[in-house]
Amino acid sequence: MDFTIDSEQRALAQAVREMAARHPSGPSRTGAGPKPHNADLWAAMADTGLLGLPFGEEVGGFGATAVEVFLAAGELGQAGLSTAYPDALLAAQLLADAGDDLLSSVIGGEALALPALAEPLRAFAPVPGGVQATQSGEGWVLEGAKGPIPFGESATHLIVSARAEEGTVLVVVDAPQVTDGVLGSGQRGRLLLSGAAAAESLNRALALASVALAGQALGAMESAMRLTTDYLKTRKQFGVPLAAFQALTHRAADMYVSLELARSSAMFLAMSVAEGDTDPATVSRARVVLSRTGRHIGQEAIQLHGGIGMTAEYAVGHLTALLTAVEHTYGDVTHHVSSLAAQIEGHDTVRLLG
Amino acid sequence: MQRSLSAEDARFQAELREFMTTQFPEEIRAKVRAGAPLTKDELVRSQQILNAAGYAVPHWPTEWGGRDWTPLQFHIWQSEMQAAAVPMPLPFNASMVGPVIATFGSEELKQRFLPATANLDIWWGQGFSEPDAGSDLASLRTTAVRDGDEYVVNGQKTWTTLGQHADWIFCLVRTNPDAKKQEGISFLLIDRYSPGVEIRPIQLIDGGHEVNEVFFTDVRVPAENLVGEENKGWDYAKFLLGNERTGIGPVGTLKRHLAQTKEYASGVSRSDGTSLLKDPLVAARFAALEAELVALELTVIRVAGHSEDGKPNPASSILKIRASQLQQDVSELAMDVAGPMSLAWLIEDDVLADSGDGALVPEWARRATPTYLNNRKVSIYGGSNEVQRSIIAGAVLGLKG
Repeated sequence: MDFTIDSEQRALAQAVREMAARHPSGPSRTGAGPKPHNADLWAAMADTGLLGLPFGEEVGGFGATAVEVFLAAGELGQAGLSTAYPDALLAAQLLADAGDDLLSSVIGGEALALPALAEPLRAFAPVPGGVQATQSGEGWVLEGAKGPIPFGESATHLIVSARAEEGTVLVVVDAPQVTDGVLGSGQRGRLLLSGAAAAESLNRALALASVALAGQALGAMESAMRLTTDYLKTRKQFGVPLAAFQALTHRAADMYVSLELARSSAMFLAMSVAEGDTDPATVSRARVVLSRTGRHIGQEAIQLHGGIGMTAEYAVGHLTALLTAVEHTYGDVTHHVSSLAAQIEGHDTVRLLG
Repeated sequence: MQRSLSAEDARFQAELREFMTTQFPEEIRAKVRAGAPLTKDELVRSQQILNAAGYAVPHWPTEWGGRDWTPLQFHIWQSEMQAAAVPMPLPFNASMVGPVIATFGSEELKQRFLPATANLDIWWGQGFSEPDAGSDLASLRTTAVRDGDEYVVNGQKTWTTLGQHADWIFCLVRTNPDAKKQEGISFLLIDRYSPGVEIRPIQLIDGGHEVNEVFFTDVRVPAENLVGEENKGWDYAKFLLGNERTGIGPVGTLKRHLAQTKEYASGVSRSDGTSLLKDPLVAARFAALEAELVALELTVIRVAGHSEDGKPNPASSILKIRASQLQQDVSELAMDVAGPMSLAWLIEDDVLADSGDGALVPEWARRATPTYLNNRKVSIYGGSNEVQRSIIAGAVLGLKG
């Protein structure tokens, strides 16, 4: 096992960092709430090769691995950028597994294909079960609503998970009509994958998206940690810097301990997926640690800043909101602990080194 | 970045696993698995078997029995030992005084002590803490006054773990009372059988005799037993503590405890006849702890927190904090799994009749509460977790008032 980041990977990270700096986060409509899709940033990401990082050159991809996805997403997270990157990679993986022609225009940034997995009033599951798909003529009809779909209004295509007689099906909806983040019932689309192939592909795609989410969360946590330590050094009260108060510095130390363990978990997930391990348990273990850490660091970053951390003008609250959003994307702590708990009897211990 | 082991490391792992699981006495491993305390003879025998195979002090310099392993190989070595329930080499010898003598001691001290220390022919005790010098270790007051070719030592040490077995004690002593407190300390090796040394047991809340007080009254110590330079002992102590904290990252042991606890839980029935492991809340605690333990193990591998170039590595503070918290969490879970059975204690010196009714409450359940209470120590020793937080805040984050 080796955690070293090589020089090519460092160069990629550097390029993404510079690109991110040229596209600062735009304003939210309200507070630190959801940001709209930034088409300029997305085009720059496509130009930098990010949208096709883990896919083969024959489909316009970069021929890299999940490790590079992790590093690129980390830079986006550090910059506090909220993007559809994890979702777009998930959709791209589904298209790649199906050998679908749409993939190359998704990688090129001309099309924006996003997954539609969530359903109103349903807890997270890859296929939540409220939406039914039935074949009708050459296409498929979807009964039931999907949402929320982050950035869904800007999508050119949605890949909808649904249940059908075949089991799980994935249906591509072209030019979807998304209103307030929700895709209403009665949509028509074409079949991408069905049955076991759909379930397996979803599994792989969720693992890849989880790597991007892990990178994004780690980057955001690093920024929140840095802002917090800088603030403790410079902000003065009672005539001394806040760093003079042990009640505060010990909390910062605990944030750092959490951050370093989360870093190990995120890197391990990236290496695992890069080597073809898309076992949901590997994903869940990493996401439990990252999501718990995201809460810890996000909450403490605001608290240690005091009032300024509450303002929409200052970055730390936006980072905390980003961490909160990541945590609830594709399964939160409850979902992942609960699925790990359901298979707790299947092994004596978790072997990392064989 | 690469997850899988290289062919060379996989071979290395297989060799160690083979040795630990087939060449090491099963009766000792069984006692370790059961959480039973080992006798002095068993610990000495264990270390001598490891030492003969070159597995007792691999992190020492190669001329003194060290192995030229990579940080990952050191981790594999420790993991395989702990997974196989082979007792770790005595930390006072292997992780604490050995590396200090090897790094800072005179050639004469190395020749005299290192081979015997590696082979546990000498059992070392630690003489650092004092009644008024706990977290503020540098305020220690035990004095060593030079008198010709000897030092005369007076004072009291405490928390000397397994000092009842010790042949020698490595001590921090004050040799210059006028200097700044960190600059008047020396590192002295004291024969436990010297006239004027008295060791008294301290009984702990788990009922065990694990630690001791050591009193020094006009103890005469040859000046050649000084390690390194006079008044530089604080530097050596910081080096030692950096190594000690790394040694406190017993990930393999922790994984084995958690796996055993899971097995115990599967043997406890609920009112509907299903096992306790079917309780979603219990299963969730196991699942979450496994995830956190994976993160700890990965961090151990990633930062390989050994002292380098004689300087402590602040990463060791991260590992010490998190490992101690998880150790406490696992023993807490074990006690909760024992449930009502946790009210019964195993008194180690008593023998439970194998076939008697008492044995219906198994040993693991009887050890659960004493172990839980005993493990409160892990966030206190080796530099309390609060001291570690101050180190991280200052040395890593640069937070200084």
